[in-house]
Amino acid sequence: MSALLELKDCRLTYPSNARNEADKLALAIDHLTIREGDRIALLGKSGAGKSTLLRHIRHQLADRASWCPQDASLVPQLKVFHNIYSGALDRHSGFVNLTNLLLPSSHFEAEITALAEPLGISELLWTKADELSGGQQQRVAIARALYQQKPILLADEPVSALDKLQGREILELLVSRHDTSVIAMHNAQLALTVCNRVIGLKDQKLFLDCPVDQLSADSIGQLYQ
Amino acid sequence: MHFFKHFLQQRRSLRRLTFYFAAIALVCLAFADIVISTRSPGHELWLMAKGLVTPRIEDSHQWLDAVIYTLTFSLQGVILAAGLGFVLSIFYHLAWVRVLGACLRSVHEVFWALIFIQIFGISTLAGVLAILLPFGGTIAKVYGEQLEESDPSPARALLPGGGTSISHFFYTRLPLAFHAMRNYTAYRMECAIRSSVVLGFIGLPTLGFHLETALRTGDYSSASALLLTLLALVYSLRFWFKAKWLWILVPAAFIARPLSAQWSAANLGQFLWDCVPGPIRQDWPLEKTLRWLLWLGEQIASGVWNTALLAQIVLVLTGIFALLGSTLNSSHFVAGMARSTGDGFLLILRSLPEYLLNFIGLIVLGPSMLPAIIAMTLHNGAIIGHLLGGHSDEIEPAAIPSGPLCRFAYYYVPTLYQRFLAYCFYRWEIIIRETAMLGILGIPTLGFYIDSAFEFLRFDVALILIAVSAGMTLSADYISRKLRHQFLKPDLRPAHGSQIQMAPLTFRNP
Amino acid sequence: MRYLTALLALLVSTSGFAVDTQRPQFTFTAIPDQNEAELVRRFGQVADYLSEQLKVDVEYIPVKSYPAAITAFRNNQVQLAWFGGLSGVQARRAVPGSEAIAQGYEDQFFKSYFIAHKSTGIEAGDGLPQAVAGRTFTFGSKGSTSGRLMPEFYIREAFGEAPEEVFSRVGFSGDHSRTVALVQSGAFEVGAVNYAVWEKAVANGDVDADQVSVIWTTPEYADYQWTVRGDIDQQFGAGFKEKLTRALLAIDDKAILDSFPRSRFVSADNDVYRAIEQTAQAIGLLDDF
Repeated sequence: MSALLELKDCRLTYPSNARNEADKLALAIDHLTIREGDRIALLGKSGAGKSTLLRHIRHQLADRASWCPQDASLVPQLKVFHNIYSGALDRHSGFVNLTNLLLPSSHFEAEITALAEPLGISELLWTKADELSGGQQQRVAIARALYQQKPILLADEPVSALDKLQGREILELLVSRHDTSVIAMHNAQLALTVCNRVIGLKDQKLFLDCPVDQLSADSIGQLYQ
Repeated sequence: MHFFKHFLQQRRSLRRLTFYFAAIALVCLAFADIVISTRSPGHELWLMAKGLVTPRIEDSHQWLDAVIYTLTFSLQGVILAAGLGFVLSIFYHLAWVRVLGACLRSVHEVFWALIFIQIFGISTLAGVLAILLPFGGTIAKVYGEQLEESDPSPARALLPGGGTSISHFFYTRLPLAFHAMRNYTAYRMECAIRSSVVLGFIGLPTLGFHLETALRTGDYSSASALLLTLLALVYSLRFWFKAKWLWILVPAAFIARPLSAQWSAANLGQFLWDCVPGPIRQDWPLEKTLRWLLWLGEQIASGVWNTALLAQIVLVLTGIFALLGSTLNSSHFVAGMARSTGDGFLLILRSLPEYLLNFIGLIVLGPSMLPAIIAMTLHNGAIIGHLLGGHSDEIEPAAIPSGPLCRFAYYYVPTLYQRFLAYCFYRWEIIIRETAMLGILGIPTLGFYIDSAFEFLRFDVALILIAVSAGMTLSADYISRKLRHQFLKPDLRPAHGSQIQMAPLTFRNP
Repeated sequence: MRYLTALLALLVSTSGFAVDTQRPQFTFTAIPDQNEAELVRRFGQVADYLSEQLKVDVEYIPVKSYPAAITAFRNNQVQLAWFGGLSGVQARRAVPGSEAIAQGYEDQFFKSYFIAHKSTGIEAGDGLPQAVAGRTFTFGSKGSTSGRLMPEFYIREAFGEAPEEVFSRVGFSGDHSRTVALVQSGAFEVGAVNYAVWEKAVANGDVDADQVSVIWTTPEYADYQWTVRGDIDQQFGAGFKEKLTRALLAIDDKAILDSFPRSRFVSADNDVYRAIEQTAQAIGLLDDF
């Protein structure tokens, strides 16, 4: 498998809130390779640097990756349909986009309905995003990520607000629609059922990187200690 | 002594900042020309009071015509300005767009009108343009800031840096700021009605045209009727200036008073030629040019000095009046009817253009800086007071109950002080602009010399002086932004040290 | 919806720029040297008279300031204007070919009054009383001949200094009626005013002789005149200027004449105002440094 992205001596920092204090370390990675076909579960305690790593990968991959953020980040004033459609803005001309904003085209409506069906939100297309529950918002964000139709998926806790069964189905759907996926999760159990590789972060460092079938329960335990 | 030492040591102390501004204002006050020169202001006041309670519309056809002009100027002006401001705000990240906006709004609408009347005659186009340009600049700034302050995360969910294309703008940024932008546009409509009335004072056919005549000739009953009309227009806005009615209001405005102008290329050419500085245009010898420069320099020096003097006094008095006045619209001090009355009082004060208040002040108090000081303090103070009072609802009631005076000094002022200063700094550039403009009424600020230049058709001089006044406004804008950054909120340093300029690393824990 | 339609109809019907395009529109204005109601009354009568005599639509447009009158004239928004001496000079400089065609009989011997509030105790004299020095003083409009130009000329002549040096405060009231009112109220101690406006105010009983009185009368000079654009014959047909001049000179309606107030109109030309132009140049009101 060819390498999609290789990180070497990567040190990410963020400015300190206090004045005249050195920048704080967010993540330090000596070496990490992401290959085509990887379905990576990114694990670690909160604050371990998962989101930082994801965002860094996203920045490196530029527009080859679709993105599913943790907090849905929908536009509350727009309908669900338009929120999902916004994933495809770059595929169409400005004229088509603006027309679709005022007069939704039936062609896109059919596409998006088909996409929303398996996510259980096809009934909500004409609801405003701020009227949705947390779980519904998350599914809209997933639909938007799918509608970006990119070969790589980067997702940050995409199913945290969904119940276990639904979460698993949707996660499988997500992974099956992309060649390569990197998914940050706090639920290790769920991650291991759909992924084939695990990257564990601990204390701003790479702690663990192995295929799922070689993973020992012990190392997962240590990751969360 | 200890207090004094402490005072000097603090670097970013709001107390010290306030002290400096107050001290400057006091020094200015010593130089300011403040006298009451009328022998019997009481008599004039009595006539005014009598007129106020006996409003009379002399000629209802003329009145209706003026009302229609006032409304159409403001409606057309605001709608076009919103369009212009909107387009500019989309590109507000570009430095030259911000500079363009700042320049447009640094020139008062009265000065714009004086220029456009020269080009287009007394016409709808001149009036609408005079509102459109400065309002466009102001709206661009506010829209731009509202867009900047809106949540960036939906935009970043699509592209790492947030997309900059038009499509991304309409899908991921505009909807977030739209509500705030709409509210602000409604507020601008109120300002536009005021401006539209003021433009009447210099000859455009709005309510101000007849108001000026009525006040000048002491016909206070007519003046009262026109004033009440202005207040009614401003107050009634909330009932009819609604987005869902714009489709009928805007076409109606453009049909009722179509944009028209007495325009010819020859006139425009002549005007532009006249705007070329005299020495170049007429190829004056050096000696004459020097005399001209000296003469111009004296006007600039005197105008700038008086403008700055007056504006600094007004800024501090506005602050004091705003702090006190805000209690009239604050749930911490008044409630129910008392608060509605208090806010109504502030609304009336802010609905009266400072030009009009100054005009009335001149009649009552005679010529000096005093009427201008009072007029601008009341007008601007009422605006800030209203906002500040509304804002005070968001802070918790004081933990320890105490009398109103203690509550004001120990809780209300300290809690709201940052916000208060921010409003004052925002208002500073507007106060400078207004101060310069009020010179038209006789105090020797820049407006006085600008008016004189127009009087003698010296458009080159007028334009130079307008540019100087714009420069003063821009400087106030610049200094106030510096001070706001230094004193009011810690400046956010860019994320240097990291190789990437990605979204600020705000850590949100799941 | 019915109300909206009605409102729309109303808006359209009172539209200010719905002009009759069938007949050529002849428009004139006048410098706003006193209160507007008076001006509208006076020039409304003139418009009716000219309309009848010239067989064209004649309209009077009121303006708010002296430069607005000059600008309207320059931009061909008006073809004829009743200017003061100085504004006429400015207008004719701005529109080459334009001519002064008629003036009031009294305008050949115009004069300004210096008036003072009683509390100053200044007595009338043969020359400008030296006691005015150090007082507060108001002109009329900045561009007025009788309220600014000639008074300033004589102040400079009497004191050898600019008015700002002579007086403790110098203001511009905006018009002659206002000058009278300001000096009468004591807002200014001394003022300079058009003699015709003053005498009309006295006749109307608007002046309180216990408060304000005339302290000096300037020598005579030429003032108000009708000035017409040079291209008027092209706009309204050959001989129009001739017809217009004749009509103005022939005004004998007492109501019209009294409203000015002038006893009759006599012919004038640009040369009559040469002296005014030189005076304005001398005190730097025209582009001359």
